[in-house]
Amino acid sequence: MSNKAVYLDYAATTPVDPRVIEIMQTCLSLDGHFANPASIHAKGRQSAALVSDARMRLANLLNTQPECLIWTSGATESNNLAIQGAARARAHRGRHLITMPTEHKAVIDTFKALEKEGFEVSWINPGADGLLSLDTLENELRADTQLVSVMHVNNETGVIQDISGIGLLCREQGVVFHTDAAQSVGKLDIDLANLPVDLLSLTAHKFYGPQGIGALYIADRPGNGIVPIMFGGNQERRLRPGTLPVHLIAGAGLAATIAASRLNDDTRHLQVMRDRLWDGIKDIEGLTRNGPDGNCYAGILNVSVDGVEGESLMLGMEPVCVASGSACNSTSGESSYVLRALGRNDRQAQSAVRFSFGHATTSDDIDMAIARYRWTVNHLRAIAPRSMAVS
Amino acid sequence: MAAIQPYNATVRECFENPDHAGDPQGDYDRVLKSTVMESEQGARIELWACVADGIIAKMRYRTWGCPHLIAAAEVLCRRLENGPVSGLSALDVSALIEQLSVPVEKTGKLLLLEDALKAIWAQHGYAA
Repeated sequence: MSNKAVYLDYAATTPVDPRVIEIMQTCLSLDGHFANPASIHAKGRQSAALVSDARMRLANLLNTQPECLIWTSGATESNNLAIQGAARARAHRGRHLITMPTEHKAVIDTFKALEKEGFEVSWINPGADGLLSLDTLENELRADTQLVSVMHVNNETGVIQDISGIGLLCREQGVVFHTDAAQSVGKLDIDLANLPVDLLSLTAHKFYGPQGIGALYIADRPGNGIVPIMFGGNQERRLRPGTLPVHLIAGAGLAATIAASRLNDDTRHLQVMRDRLWDGIKDIEGLTRNGPDGNCYAGILNVSVDGVEGESLMLGMEPVCVASGSACNSTSGESSYVLRALGRNDRQAQSAVRFSFGHATTSDDIDMAIARYRWTVNHLRAIAPRSMAVS
Repeated sequence: MAAIQPYNATVRECFENPDHAGDPQGDYDRVLKSTVMESEQGARIELWACVADGIIAKMRYRTWGCPHLIAAAEVLCRRLENGPVSGLSALDVSALIEQLSVPVEKTGKLLLLEDALKAIWAQHGYAA
């Protein structure tokens, strides 16, 4: 069997598109667009034009105005800025906030920090399918609720939340709605001109752009202001100070344009890859699919299997690169809190494998993953105590 | 650039070739068995020592655990099989940790194996 690595961890990060690398390289050297875009000299103005072009490209991907986008270092910073910034800006009106325990750590830990500041947070559990019930949300909304944050696509299961329905409910109640769209921007069609979303976080490295650059969308609506969480300059409407990284921004902008042009083809390809993998493993006894068949992003397939220990499963999968639960959580040794929130027990959660696909994924890659997964499950079950046998 | 390797060559070899995994087959003077578990949902190990003609004729194990625990059980069985029964009396955990390059946060897993061996030795002493 080949030892060449097979990368099926696109939900963790994607390789940078060669065209994106090329434009980034033009921003680094003396003869390129390396200058500080805040400088008023000619080189600075060239850089500023490049930043402006990139902002327009990202705005086009999202069908919004470039003025609504703030460059950040990535989705984690965007989530922090959105949640802390909105909560503090509206604290004089009320201190009740709502989110879910299945959010990314960047959201969960930000809300926990706000709890320590005296904000009250309602944590709404999803249904067994991972989805937020709009009725439950409606019941949780109060007169003093100021912010609701629910992610668009779950990074572990691929579950797609009804952000349109959630946003409408929030608009009716005058509550700001933030969504962490790190896993959906560039992958799903997002039309911010018609979606009732007030704040949206994104990062470029999930759609073949560089790591270290992201953005926060802030809808141009009355009462949707946020306050900064960092200080030290006038950049990005004083909401995100610091010298803009021109090469990263130019790369993110081009990646957005490329993502828009490939979106339909990629979606079809991802569905074929996911279905091929699922068809190749679904007959394994004791296998559970984490996430519903519908309302799920095609680029992610998450499965748990009985009678198998998760860390050993990951070693057996080599050279196929997959994630155990969330890649961001993979060093902690804890079983996935997202899957436990969906009702999985510790053993099911720790045996979870997230396969995620990209436009470079081939049928051969999938067949290799199927072969390694089946071999590993059989191998580990043969070693396991009989009391843990899958009947 | 070389990737960081969480498992050394011995762990990988034992993981790929767990020759001593499974139930003991055959007739022996005595078959000693112990079962130890970390917690209801945690790692567990079953260890067998089959004694015949005054030696450990066969060692076997079954485990549900991480690659380091699998490798530790395999190394132990290879070391003790065909050796004197007195080999069951103690496990040099420190040497095993070094041989398998077990990260410090996982050394507790190897104590499961030590407990399993102690239980077998206690059975041997009780029966002797």
